[in-house]
Amino acid sequence: MTYQDLILALQRYWAERGCVLGQAYDVEVGAGTMAPATFLRALGPEPWNVAYVQPSRRPADGRFGENPNRLFQHHQFQVLLKPAPKNVQELYLGSLKALGIDPLEHDIRFVEDDWEAPTLGAWGLGWEVWCDGMEITQFTYFQQCGGFECRPVSAELTYGLERIAMYLQNVESIFDVTWVKGVSYGEVFHRNEVEMSEYAFRASDPPTLFALFDTYEKECVRLLALGLPIPAYEAALKCSHTFNLLDARGAISVTERAGFIKRVRDNARACAEAYLQTRARLGFPLVKTGWTVGEQPPPLEGARASASWASFAAEAPR
Amino acid sequence: MSEDLLLEIGTEELPAGAVEPALAQLAQGLGERLAEAHLAHGAITTYGTPRRLAVRAAAVAARSPDSVRQALGPSVKAAFGADGAPTKAAVKFAESQGVAVEALRRVETAKGSYLAVERSEPGQPASALLPPLLQALVHAVSFKKAMRWGDVEQTFARPVQWILALHGSEVMPVVFADVRSGRVTHGHRFLSPGPISLRTAGEYLAALERAHVIADVANRRERIRAGVESLAHAVGARVLADPSLLDQVTELVEWPAPVLGSFEARHLDLPNEVLVEEMRSHQRYFSVVDAQGRLVPHFVAVSGTPVHDPALSRRGYERVLRSRLSDGRFFFDQDRKVPLVDRVPALERVVWQGKLGSYAEKVARIRPLAVHLATAAGLGGLREQVDRAALLAKADLTTGMVGEFPELQGIMGREYARASGEPEAVARAIAGHYLPRGASDPVPDEDPGSLVGIADRLDTLAGLFALGKPPTASTDPFGLRRACLGVIRIILGRGYRLSLSAAIDAALGAGRAPAGIAAKLGLSEERAAAVRGELLEFFRGRLKALWADDARADVVDAVLAAGFDDLRSTRARLEAFAQVVGASDFAPLAIAFKRVANIVEKQGSDVAAARVDASVFQDPSEGALSEAAGRAAAEVRRALEAEDAPRALAAARALKGPVDAFFERVLVMTDDRRVRDNRVRLLREVAQVFAPLADMSRIQAEGGR
Repeated sequence: MTYQDLILALQRYWAERGCVLGQAYDVEVGAGTMAPATFLRALGPEPWNVAYVQPSRRPADGRFGENPNRLFQHHQFQVLLKPAPKNVQELYLGSLKALGIDPLEHDIRFVEDDWEAPTLGAWGLGWEVWCDGMEITQFTYFQQCGGFECRPVSAELTYGLERIAMYLQNVESIFDVTWVKGVSYGEVFHRNEVEMSEYAFRASDPPTLFALFDTYEKECVRLLALGLPIPAYEAALKCSHTFNLLDARGAISVTERAGFIKRVRDNARACAEAYLQTRARLGFPLVKTGWTVGEQPPPLEGARASASWASFAAEAPR
Repeated sequence: MSEDLLLEIGTEELPAGAVEPALAQLAQGLGERLAEAHLAHGAITTYGTPRRLAVRAAAVAARSPDSVRQALGPSVKAAFGADGAPTKAAVKFAESQGVAVEALRRVETAKGSYLAVERSEPGQPASALLPPLLQALVHAVSFKKAMRWGDVEQTFARPVQWILALHGSEVMPVVFADVRSGRVTHGHRFLSPGPISLRTAGEYLAALERAHVIADVANRRERIRAGVESLAHAVGARVLADPSLLDQVTELVEWPAPVLGSFEARHLDLPNEVLVEEMRSHQRYFSVVDAQGRLVPHFVAVSGTPVHDPALSRRGYERVLRSRLSDGRFFFDQDRKVPLVDRVPALERVVWQGKLGSYAEKVARIRPLAVHLATAAGLGGLREQVDRAALLAKADLTTGMVGEFPELQGIMGREYARASGEPEAVARAIAGHYLPRGASDPVPDEDPGSLVGIADRLDTLAGLFALGKPPTASTDPFGLRRACLGVIRIILGRGYRLSLSAAIDAALGAGRAPAGIAAKLGLSEERAAAVRGELLEFFRGRLKALWADDARADVVDAVLAAGFDDLRSTRARLEAFAQVVGASDFAPLAIAFKRVANIVEKQGSDVAAARVDASVFQDPSEGALSEAAGRAAAEVRRALEAEDAPRALAAARALKGPVDAFFERVLVMTDDRRVRDNRVRLLREVAQVFAPLADMSRIQAEGGR
């Protein structure tokens, strides 16, 4: 299976189950979780089911294209299912079958993994999914996002595309993965890795980056004041990426680090709150679509968790 | 008819480590609730896998027995007047119970005869009692980390998928979150998909076994152990024993299928610990060793599914390990390019604890502290080694390998110290100073590591107590209890004669000791003294906990009350007491000396300090006791100096005869003030004989006050 066939198979599988096929978010992010289609949509009571490929930039992981397993930029196939269907594990295993990974031929296991993203005020519980000892997917039930409790809970599936492709194609280096017949991953992206690593570790200009950080931070605050959480969140993401660049460059000391993370988190949280307020003012419109993927049994005791947002709308003065 | 009761909570894959505690809660909770419901039952058994928590009570009665409920009224004495007529109390009680006075019965209690009403209560059927009981039981299970799922509010370690609740063949209705109980369970996720309906609770284990699930934890653990062992035998080797890994794997698979794999032999020149850690912590593979205990280039992975062609998964396991070992080799080669000592300055960038600064600062404090302790312990000859080991103790925190595997701290320090040409004793001390990591670990077997280990822990204890962050009843985020126990175990294990208070002072940097925590935090002398006091009390508490199994609590308390500055002699005194505390003459001895202690305590403040005046003696027993006390005091002192606690205790015990004779023949509280004061002074001398051994007033003995 070529790299792009892998993407196509996952897209087809999740599209057939009723997910919106999203496109990669065009602002630099470290993970698919940070794209608004996950971070913002996981908030509040509205249903949301999406699948998209997200190029994920991690400047500190850059290896100048010399390490067979690490990249400045890798690609995640990101699925967010909200509310998490009761049979989400079965749905996920179905997607592996669509890739030709049969659990009677491979040792597939769900191994405990707790996830936390301090810069997003987010955490969840779930697993890393192992295929013959190799982690191929992060599977997380979001519990909190932007400092808000997730009601309902979203299930996030993050497939590591390069790893899965290496495994399916039985190659030892990412750069040897066949992208499309006759063209390798290396031919598409190796030079990108070399230059981006050079940029991240040597060529970036810390004073410029520090100035950019401050600028994006202020821009985020300014846009929030204008009641525009979506562009404000874009600015917060820019901050986050700038911080990652500075970190890779070794420009941030240990003592300063926590302070920068807090600045990013504070803005991300403020964006989350503002986003919820605009959705509340709109009356959480997706709720009435009744859009679901998979099995969604109602609670047998107590109210629906999502019902708690009724009071949020009333309490949102801004 | 009594029938088995079975509750199974089916879940998505639980974290390893969550299963056992939850099963313990279910077993205990079920036992307690059945007892409360007065439902007779047989043995309670639990079963657990990553996907299920189950508890079974054998032979649960079909109904609770009829019972007689008694309401106790006034005593018979109060219930009838002199004329034999019922009093107001009796009438009121009968009214409150809705019966006639004549219907009240007399019952005998420990306090005498009482009036009572007895009503028989019919038993209830299990079918009425069990559902609410099981409902409450499911809701009472708690986890360290719990989560919500879907659109429900309830929490569990992972989402609940099904609940099976059967009493015999009858479904017990239970509801949890979005799940309703039934008679359905599920087998192995891949090998036996689909629901399995049970007719009775008794079919459970066999049905699961047919469906590729070994539900019994011990049985599964044993199968894994035997399975991995036999694969290792196949290559003429054995599996490196690792009980905690075995437990983890047991909680990761329902139907274990061990697979033998290999790695390239060239990686065997990596430190053993690196290889073992790469295999165990990331991959949960068992390491394989030869007859001499040396690693061989194999491993055993335990698959959760016996797949069609194990060669396929083996290739996967090997591939992941290969990439990890290449990473490990990369770190190992990179790390060794820098001499360990050159890494020390980089510790400035490694935060130890916010206000207490970096590891560089910690190292700067523990170097002189460890040297100070060496001198105090009579090991001044080791000063240079100890200083060097303290300097390098934390340097490996800046290496790539420890960054990747924090649990290898110390071990990598030792390896890199060797590679940097440091003396072997220094290299070993770097690894040793972290010992004991936990209760089952040994203490370091060499002095430099022991001394650096004590210094490191005292610095941690002093620092966090000075910051006002001692552990609370429920939380100990900095591991201070473990650190304190470590200090105690090292001092005792290595047999050091150290003054605990002086060592704490040195860590704080009080007195003439090198600058320590006090200087870092700018503590006043009063504050430093207060911290020292709190820390000593903390040590007292840890000693009590540590020695709880070795002697009676009151004896430990009494021995500690006589001081514990020198832990070695404190321990020797405790052992001496523990030897005699069971003897038949100990209780009378304790009573006699408690009596002495009580009199001294009560009267002591009124009697001015002065020597006993022999000329005031009126009875020969006074002179005899005085002489015996003087002799015993000298002997106790000599014996303790010679570290012979049993002899010291024997000398003190010898006073019993003269003390008894004294109390038999004279009255301390006589009217003659001069005589009385002199006798109190005499008893004070007697009490002081015991003072260095134990505070006898804390010993509990019948007849003591």
